[in-house]
Amino acid sequence: MSAASSESFALPFTLASRVGVLEGKTSPEELVAAAHASCFVTSLGSELARAGTPPVRMTVRCTITMDEIESGDHRIVASHISAAADVPGADDEAVARAAREADAGCPISALIRASATVTVEAKLEGGD
Amino acid sequence: MAAERTANVTWTGSLQEGSGRIESVGSGAFGPLDVTWEARTEDSDGRTSPEELIAAAHASCFSMAFSGGLAKAGTPPERLDVSATVTFVPGTGITKSALTVRGTVPGMDEAAFVEAAEVAKENCPVTQALASVPEITLDASLA
Repeated sequence: MSAASSESFALPFTLASRVGVLEGKTSPEELVAAAHASCFVTSLGSELARAGTPPVRMTVRCTITMDEIESGDHRIVASHISAAADVPGADDEAVARAAREADAGCPISALIRASATVTVEAKLEGGD
Repeated sequence: MAAERTANVTWTGSLQEGSGRIESVGSGAFGPLDVTWEARTEDSDGRTSPEELIAAAHASCFSMAFSGGLAKAGTPPERLDVSATVTFVPGTGITKSALTVRGTVPGMDEAAFVEAAEVAKENCPVTQALASVPEITLDASLA
């Protein structure tokens, strides 16, 4: 598999790397995790800037869960976002509020939420 | 069995002038990959974007579902060339994912190939995750 539009990657993938051990190979769900994390981080930055507190740095982790459903098929059932932002002049609540707005505005959040659960937690970097 | 897959991203600076990086993924298969807003909406210039990653997810998911389906039917493919093109409209979101597949499958005719491809498209978990996308198309034929 390769990214034809940007030519930024070419990657092997296997069934085993999808549901079992990873062995350095990616999977569709890992790519969705990368898409959701990279979408959310831009939305969070926009919301913080809009609130008058642009971030210096943000880190976002996304975990996608795929599970077997009743029919025996596999489905993406959940995406969990965990974000931390270094934001001068903001507190935990301001970051959490911006994260809720970011979740509402991120097109990949909206996409996944149509068929799975999306949860978001966010905090000020350096806070607890 | 539930499977969890993880990606870590950082962003520095503003949306327009700053830049992001997919630092790592759980498998270690890729990263760091640079991401910018410009790469998302204008010239990609060697940088990826959330929508390109969704395209990669859809193409790889479909190719596995199709390959699995063909094998189960007793006609395993020699090779499948799959591409997915995702259309992103800022302010709206993803409006389309277009799948194309060209395959070499010994003992299979064109009609059966196209029918099996349609089934794979519907069953693939990423297609299901794209349920809210208005248009998902498939162009399938034997190579």
